[in-house]
Amino acid sequence: MGALTSPEAVAGTVKTRKGWNFRKYEAVAGYSFILPSVLTIMVFTVIPIFIAIGLVFMEYDILSPAKFVGFENIKMIFKDARLGNSYLVTLRFVVLATLINNVLGILLAVGVNRSMPGFLKYIFRTTLFFPVLTTSASLAVVWRFLMANDRGILNYLINQLGLPSVPWISSTEFAIYSVVIYDVWRACGYMMVLYLAGLQGIPEQYYEAAKIDGANSFQLFRYITLPLLSPTAFFCVVTSIIGAAQVFDNAMVLTGGGPQDATRLIALYIYEKGFKAFEMGYASTVSVTLLIILLLITLFQFWFSKKWVNYE
Amino acid sequence: MTTVNPVRNIDLKAAGSSSGNVKGRSSLRFLGEGLLWLLMIVMALIEFLPISWLFANSLRDPAVAYNLPPSFFPTEWNWQNYITVISSPQIKFLLFFFNSVKIAAIVTSVTLLTCSLAAFAFGRLRFPGRNMLFFMFLATMMIPGTVVLVPNFIIISRLGWIDSHLALIVPSLTSAFGIFLLRQQFMSLPEALMDAAKIDGAGYLRIFFQIMLPLIGPGLSALGIFTFLGSWNNYMGPLLFLRTPDNYTFPLAIVTLQGYMGSGNRAHVLAGIMISVAPVLAFFLAAQRFIIQGIAVTGLKG
Repeated sequence: MGALTSPEAVAGTVKTRKGWNFRKYEAVAGYSFILPSVLTIMVFTVIPIFIAIGLVFMEYDILSPAKFVGFENIKMIFKDARLGNSYLVTLRFVVLATLINNVLGILLAVGVNRSMPGFLKYIFRTTLFFPVLTTSASLAVVWRFLMANDRGILNYLINQLGLPSVPWISSTEFAIYSVVIYDVWRACGYMMVLYLAGLQGIPEQYYEAAKIDGANSFQLFRYITLPLLSPTAFFCVVTSIIGAAQVFDNAMVLTGGGPQDATRLIALYIYEKGFKAFEMGYASTVSVTLLIILLLITLFQFWFSKKWVNYE
Repeated sequence: MTTVNPVRNIDLKAAGSSSGNVKGRSSLRFLGEGLLWLLMIVMALIEFLPISWLFANSLRDPAVAYNLPPSFFPTEWNWQNYITVISSPQIKFLLFFFNSVKIAAIVTSVTLLTCSLAAFAFGRLRFPGRNMLFFMFLATMMIPGTVVLVPNFIIISRLGWIDSHLALIVPSLTSAFGIFLLRQQFMSLPEALMDAAKIDGAGYLRIFFQIMLPLIGPGLSALGIFTFLGSWNNYMGPLLFLRTPDNYTFPLAIVTLQGYMGSGNRAHVLAGIMISVAPVLAFFLAAQRFIIQGIAVTGLKG
């Protein structure tokens, strides 16, 4: 007991001369414990939000003082054809990436969850998941070699099958699909793991009971797995959309936003406006539109989830 | 019992009507199972081959690095590429490696400390404004990082941290999500534990370090692994804030120097990428089950 007694402990349990009672001591401990985190979040997340909103009405290039321009930036939003294109590209990317990642995630999770020898399970889980942990920027360099027109590996394999070469990252038509393919390559294993956790949370008895009632494997999937997986699916879809809407590394390294803005995702556009053109007021305005859109989508999903998510 | 409902909802009529055609049903099932296995095998190949190609080609003689057909498995063991990349005086690979390790190690260790302290306070201590402050933390989790990019750049340049590793370290020294995650863990510990320590006269710091912290090991290691990976794999931060090549971290060095490295030789670039991927791969193979569980429990992304 003696070993555990410390000066601050004494101050905490009895009233000291300074008049510190137990409550006050607890509060001081609480505030000092959260202080480092509160400071960091304040300076690098909360204050920036207000700066971002303030910048909507400013013209700022970091070198000269900010100039108040009223609604100029907001007016520009509606006239900026490149922004419209960027949002269309982002929309296409988000829809495709979210859809493919989640469908593949569910199917692979169901597959990996099948009974099979331990080493096989290990091999599947390892190979399907490992790309998630790799550096997206570095592996995009690898994929650029794979997808290259000249001596690209994918085209070589396709040609071997007797099919014509595909201009993976050099055509405006194909480039966005290549970015989607790379994203799926890197992210579907992550979805698989999340869905796998969801699957393993479904009690085995449900399946047994349904089998006794004569359900086939498709019915098991449709009427037990899917409904009970819906909370997981909701979480996965919401986070995929928010994540995909902000993808930067993939497109930046794989295509650099090109050719001709064909893969200029919104994060790349904000980067270009803010840090290449130094139109920080306008870049901030664009990022605030992204914030509003993402908030609306998330709110809509929470509302819509009542119609399809089964919480036990 | 509501838990039986999903089973009861099964359309028994449909199952009953097709039961006459047992042969058709089972062949359909085999088809479905077969397609599922086919998908798994194809996807496993798609996920595996780029990485094995990366490894195989990093070992090729630079003179034949572009030769087709490609090799997906090492045909030669030319470790010279690795030596070239590491020892080349222009590339300073060891320096980039050190920069990345340094930043990731500092960010991870400090984040674990700040997050667990705050999580303990939010979960286990009472003080005025606690719930409001915690709600604020939760709300910041909703803010997409892209939105605060420009303001953060302005703040960091005002602080004079452009081209300094501080720009990558300080903003990442805590995580709202980490606090949320660890708070859940602290709250799951029995109340009596803290009461007993208080009766024994332990101060809060001592309760925290000696009693509570050791009990949330799984949460801490999950958060630690993914904080480290997040920092290790960060590309955008270094791209925005670093200027001098000597300060570059691995991902930035690989992407920006790929043309210049070995004057565009693919084998050298791939060896460089392999060096950055290998530690993660080795760690993953050793701790696979653990990492996957960590992700499954926390929903964290590396």
